[in-house]
Amino acid sequence: MDKEKVKQIVLDIIAEIAPDEDLTDVKPEVRLRDQLDLDSMDFLDIVMELRKQHGIEVPEAEYRQLESLDSSAEYLFPKFEAKAVA
Amino acid sequence: MPNARRKTEALDGQHFEVVVIGSGMAGLASALRLAMFGKSVLLLEKHYVVGGLNSFFARGGRKFDVGLHAVTNFPPNDSAKASPLIRLCRQLRIPFEELALSPQSFSRIAFPDVDLKFNNEFAFFISEVERLFPREQDRFQKLLRTMEAFDAYSPEVAGDVSARAILGEHLQEPLLIEILLCPTCYYGSAVENDIDFASFVMLFDAIFRQGLARPLDGIRRFLDPILKRYEELGGKRRMNLGVKRIVTKNDKVERLELDNEESIFADHVISTCGVVETEQMLSSASQAEDADDVGRISILESIAVFKEQPADLGWEETIVFYNDDDVFRYERPDELTDPRSGVICIPNNYRYPYGEQMPEGQLRVTCLANYEKWGALDENTYRSQKEICRKAMLDVALGYLPNGKSMAKELEERTELLDIFSPRTIKKFTSHLDGALYGSPRKSRDGSTQFSNLYLAGSDQGYVGIVGAMLGGVAVANNRILRGD
Repeated sequence: MDKEKVKQIVLDIIAEIAPDEDLTDVKPEVRLRDQLDLDSMDFLDIVMELRKQHGIEVPEAEYRQLESLDSSAEYLFPKFEAKAVA
Repeated sequence: MPNARRKTEALDGQHFEVVVIGSGMAGLASALRLAMFGKSVLLLEKHYVVGGLNSFFARGGRKFDVGLHAVTNFPPNDSAKASPLIRLCRQLRIPFEELALSPQSFSRIAFPDVDLKFNNEFAFFISEVERLFPREQDRFQKLLRTMEAFDAYSPEVAGDVSARAILGEHLQEPLLIEILLCPTCYYGSAVENDIDFASFVMLFDAIFRQGLARPLDGIRRFLDPILKRYEELGGKRRMNLGVKRIVTKNDKVERLELDNEESIFADHVISTCGVVETEQMLSSASQAEDADDVGRISILESIAVFKEQPADLGWEETIVFYNDDDVFRYERPDELTDPRSGVICIPNNYRYPYGEQMPEGQLRVTCLANYEKWGALDENTYRSQKEICRKAMLDVALGYLPNGKSMAKELEERTELLDIFSPRTIKKFTSHLDGALYGSPRKSRDGSTQFSNLYLAGSDQGYVGIVGAMLGGVAVANNRILRGD
């Protein structure tokens, strides 16, 4: 598991919940909302899929950590690591 | 999801994480959302079919939709993703194409001296308003900007602001105000002679800014993929089974007592039965029901089926909202029905793909009706009055179709099948007190109640139309159950 892998996981989830979005050129440092048509309902789905598919919990107060691919990787990577160890 | 299935079995069919009361559009949408994320969900339905107001029935070997004149919110090409319908498809993970929606031909709003046409091009609607009300041009543009700046779907929005008052502040010609209120009230107002501003904005956008559409096969095209997905995910459903009592303890719902005396335990309960209807089921309910909270708007609808395609009779429009006076009356009539105003729907006139067409012509006419008066009739009078009122309604409605008056007799002769549904039928399908089409004037936008694990969804959230009702159900599932998990 590395941070690039985490980004890919998030992208795969977005592809699943928003199949009509073009994800070929998503810039990791730019806010997802600014380059894709995602609203708060879609971000809830990202959180719910992280839990369902990977057992990762994101408390509501921390949803904004997922605003870009880079910030998602920074925030989620330790959670994936902790999971791997456990 | 195997997870959900396991949980349900472990709980022995008596205990669910969520019970949803009512399988109308809001109930179905919230149940599917919850099942999608592994909740054990039970959907309870009193009636023998799903859909609530947007259900279907069979007569003379033909299938009819109950409430579906039109699916609103048909996304225009240029703003597809912002459309509430596309948002809904995403939330339910149902591809938009699967709904097989076909756009309307065009529709009309007909008042004594004004006939305003619209189709699914918003610019055309604006040009019609400007053609008919040239002096209102700037003020109308300002109204559009006010509406654009207003987030009608926000759960925090006030549900009791009068659209009539806001239109009055923006516009000077009273007739334009009435013309804007007529279609929006008919498609979703629970209050008389007005509509709350949030619902007005939602419906204005849904009807004009987006547009009207319908699947060739009717509402089942919506219901089937939802039910299929729900069941694949392990969601449970019980039909012909109503809730007798919601038993509460302190600030929580403890269990539900069903009509068959069974008890079901639930961590969360979503009731789509309506605000007053839900309160009456509470074990702690005080018996004094506030009559002001029971909706007064109900309808009589007639469907005539004939061999010809309506276009061959010269009728190419899809929907006509009509009113015989410069003032639009949207209120419970003193008589059984008020034929002077209503809505015509010709479902053949959606543009179905590959030149497909419904096999027979259909003409649907809807007028406001008085539930109390219909409810008081004995069976024989009920039957005869349905026929008398149907004729009176049709007589007026035909006057709003090209050469309609002169075709009245011919149409009657050619009619193969007639069906009429009354406020009593609405009550049967929706369980709304007084057959109130759009529920109570009292709305709970965010779905909250005085009990911490009981939420309202559906008509009494004030989200309107099929798409609105479903988004309301999704919002309750998301914000009340999934988010706080």
